[in-house]
Amino acid sequence: MIAKKVLLVGNFGVGKTSLIRRFVLSEFSEDYISTIGVRVSSKIVKVGNEEIKLLIWDVAGTNDDEKIPKAYFLGASAAMYVFDLSREETYVNLKNQIEVVQELSGLKNITVVGNKKDLLTSNEIDHLIKTISVPVNLITSAKENENVEDAFTILAKQSLN
Amino acid sequence: MIPSKIDSVFIEITTDFKGVIKRVNAGGFAEKEFIVNESIFFVCPFLIGTLEALPLDEFFSMEGMIITSNSIEFNVDVELFRSKKSISVLIHDRTKVYRFVEQLNQSRNDVFFAKREISEKNKELARLRKVADKANEEKTRFLAMMSHEVRNPLTAILGYTDMISEEPLGDKAKEYIGYLTSAGENLKVIVNDILDLSRIEAGKLELVSEEINIKEIVNNCFVNYKNQQKDKVVVLDLVVSSAISDIVFGDSVRVTQVLSNLLSNALKFTKKGSVSLEVELVYAGKKTTEICFKIVDTGRGMTVEQTAKIFEEYQQNELNDNRVFGGAGLGLSIVKRLVEAMNGTISVFSELNVGSTFSVEIPFKKYIEQQSKSGLSRINLEKMSLKGMRILIVDDDLLNQKITSHFLKKKDVTVVVFNNGLEALEELDNQSFDVVLLDINMPGITGEELIQRKSSFKKNNNTAFIALTGNATQKDRGNYLSLGFSDVIFKPFKSDELIEKISVFFNKF
Ligand SMILES: Nc1nc2c(ncn2[C@@H]2O[C@H](COP(=O)(O)OP(=O)(O)OP(=O)(O)O)[C@@H](O)[C@H]2O)c(=O)[nH]1
Ligand SMILES: [Mg+2]
Repeated sequence: MIAKKVLLVGNFGVGKTSLIRRFVLSEFSEDYISTIGVRVSSKIVKVGNEEIKLLIWDVAGTNDDEKIPKAYFLGASAAMYVFDLSREETYVNLKNQIEVVQELSGLKNITVVGNKKDLLTSNEIDHLIKTISVPVNLITSAKENENVEDAFTILAKQSLN
Repeated sequence: MIPSKIDSVFIEITTDFKGVIKRVNAGGFAEKEFIVNESIFFVCPFLIGTLEALPLDEFFSMEGMIITSNSIEFNVDVELFRSKKSISVLIHDRTKVYRFVEQLNQSRNDVFFAKREISEKNKELARLRKVADKANEEKTRFLAMMSHEVRNPLTAILGYTDMISEEPLGDKAKEYIGYLTSAGENLKVIVNDILDLSRIEAGKLELVSEEINIKEIVNNCFVNYKNQQKDKVVVLDLVVSSAISDIVFGDSVRVTQVLSNLLSNALKFTKKGSVSLEVELVYAGKKTTEICFKIVDTGRGMTVEQTAKIFEEYQQNELNDNRVFGGAGLGLSIVKRLVEAMNGTISVFSELNVGSTFSVEIPFKKYIEQQSKSGLSRINLEKMSLKGMRILIVDDDLLNQKITSHFLKKKDVTVVVFNNGLEALEELDNQSFDVVLLDINMPGITGEELIQRKSSFKKNNNTAFIALTGNATQKDRGNYLSLGFSDVIFKPFKSDELIEKISVFFNKF
């Protein structure tokens, strides 16, 4: 079985750890325990007929201009950029931030995920997506387990390219 | 030999390119987990993918990784070096340091989210405030409209009382007319107060800046109250500092309003002793001057609690004084707002059963002498006759018609009355008038429409048209003037005001 290293990055508190916990452990907690450094979890996923062991790097969230250490991206096959639909500051600069991640990681495609879908109405979300300058792959809720599986499937597929 | 304390915080391992542990070189940190010939990936899953991608002959470090040993998580920093033959892995235990980082980070984030919550609450508060402001605005508008509606009938009531009081009357009737007059005047004060307050609240108070004579204003106010005082139990005093400049720029109506309000208030609550109006210079600069008006009484005074609330709206209701003294209890709150609108301040010092002192300080622009004004002496309205003048009154309100023509007839004016614009139009083609008094809101054709046809009349193209209206703002005034009216008279008006405005046009003929 092949193993693929993938990263979750994005502003602090957007729900990276929560998405991973939901995906790997089927759990969710309202508590916010900020991630320090990197925590790696793994899960086997099936893409087509292929089984992949995903090594999911949960990287501590960044703050404004803080950059993710480049070393973390070494050997990474894919990355997911998570933002918080309920917090404007996590997506106002989305285009720019994704470019920075592309540059650091050398990856062309970054999976873009807007989390905490449950906090907004579908109208609000529609409106918001229109204002965002980059295409968003998926809108998720770690809390209500919406589209979490799909988000990681997209990520796994991307890791094969 | 490495001391054990240092020994236990690091470990150095050699692996092959696939991550199989070949040797433990030094250190004892979590040494149980690193077993020769087994994969380092079990204990260091973060090396999967990373190890294979390591650049050759370069130090590579990764901070903040997690290693689990004996079911305890450790935060470690890792240094990697790939040579041609093998890979060195140096692991430092940094758990203690990261614990601090963690605490710092957590507090940072907690503060952040707390701030966010506060800012969201503030947003909500701002929204609620807007709703409240809107409601308040509505209230203000409603009050303004109501008081406007009340003004018209009030004009009639006051006008007729005036007229009746001039007829020969029995003693009883005279007494009743007296009550009627004072009740009417009181109602007028209330209506005007409400209108003032709502204008101030709506930010629509218009202050004029014209040459005014402070000493004259003060004196007029004083004389007015002095004359009203029948029982001379309370001594009324006036002290004006000679340092005060005669002419400044300001709004005489509003200054008078402030002083009258405070004086009448002081007189209301003073049963013996004195009420004095003291006018002092606070500051005299090149361009501005600040004047302090002090109203000192030896009346019943107030408690600290009452003093604190004195400028609030409707405060009198609470003290139940308006039943005795009349008014809606808006006087002082209006005074305060007026003073503030003039960039001034008002304060009060009071002692129960000793008396109160209200101090008003207002800055005025100074009048810089250019040339002495032609001493325009005030016309003696009382004695003036407008004999020979021809005036057309157009008003759909029968009561207003009668009052206006009564005022005019007393001055020997020839009056023609119509109660709608259409009939007036016809007449304006037939006979010439010196002045046309035009009500604005009339059915059929309004005063505004009528004036706009002025140039097409067969006669009266040069006649002065004066608007009579209850729409009493300066903006309305400007609007009417621009339509072609020569002047505007706001309802309710007094005989003097009407005659004064009309007499201007009499002199021309
Ligand atoms: N309502 C809602 N809350 C969520 C969702 N996902 C995460 N949260 C909450 O958001 C907070 C932060 O979630 P984390 O998963 O710790 O965020 P993170 O991106 O890992 O944060 P860092 O580790 O500091 O970068 C927690 O209180 C979660 O319970 C979601 O989908 N809906
Ligand atoms: Mg996290």
